[in-house]
Amino acid sequence: MIHSFIALLPDKCTSCMLCVRECPAWCIHLDSHTEEVTEPGARRPKKINVLDSFDIDYSLCMYCGICVDVCPFDALEWDQHRALISDSRVDLTLGITQLTSEKDSAN
Amino acid sequence: MMNVSVTETVSPEKWRERVLQAHDHGFVFFDFLTAIDRDSGVEVVVRLAFNDLSESISLSTSINHASLRLDSIADIFPGAGWHEREVGEMFGMNFVGNDMQQLLRHEALGLPPMRKNVVLSARVVAEWPGAAEPEIKQDGRKVGNPSRRRQRPPGVPENWLQS
Ligand code: SF4
Ligand code: SF4
Repeated sequence: MIHSFIALLPDKCTSCMLCVRECPAWCIHLDSHTEEVTEPGARRPKKINVLDSFDIDYSLCMYCGICVDVCPFDALEWDQHRALISDSRVDLTLGITQLTSEKDSAN
Repeated sequence: MMNVSVTETVSPEKWRERVLQAHDHGFVFFDFLTAIDRDSGVEVVVRLAFNDLSESISLSTSINHASLRLDSIADIFPGAGWHEREVGEMFGMNFVGNDMQQLLRHEALGLPPMRKNVVLSARVVAEWPGAAEPEIKQDGRKVGNPSRRRQRPPGVPENWLQS
């Protein structure tokens, strides 16, 4: 597999912030909020983090893979998307819907 | 394919002599020269190999921060000249015998950026994304105690902005 892209599996991400804090290029930005959910049979509602945004700025990312390594929930993985080309820096920041893996989009 | 690989630490005084010795032994392929800033000093590393890459050797030496002088090996391996100049402008090293003119950085940019005691201006200007505590918000309002533990970017010394 060519390590040319980092894909996010948003359902696995718990907004723990580990990747954001370990990224040496400071290029991951995350925002989330807490919601209370009551599961059937549970006595009390529990709080879960809901991801609002997750952006990787590929104009800064150096493909070190530290974020993939530190994620305790396997929510980030290497993917073989090709390198991005753009004449605008803004377009190089990809959010939740764009950070999907090639595997997923092929399905 | 690289088969045999050796790592050796030498004193700064023996640096040039040991590189020359390795060269004469057959390590005529210059791979790279780089440096690492450690508490004890700047460690300079060179990696050499046989021409068929069957064997390689990594030589390293540590130069204390007060001196930062080391004999150049650019007369043995001309290709090392560029690497030495890079290490010069990035770590503040002075390779005696090489032309130490700035290579890519402008002199006015000041202190060598790869030294750990140098505060990078880009890091001061940019906001660290890890400082956010998104997990304490609810419906856009803050809930709970935000200051459980002050977060700091990894590798950044405490009070780095004050020093
Ligand atoms: S690969 Fe490295 S630089 Fe890129 S987002 Fe992950 S940790 Fe940051
Ligand atoms: S480390 Fe993994 S789970 Fe934590 S915020 Fe990053 S992607 Fe999400």
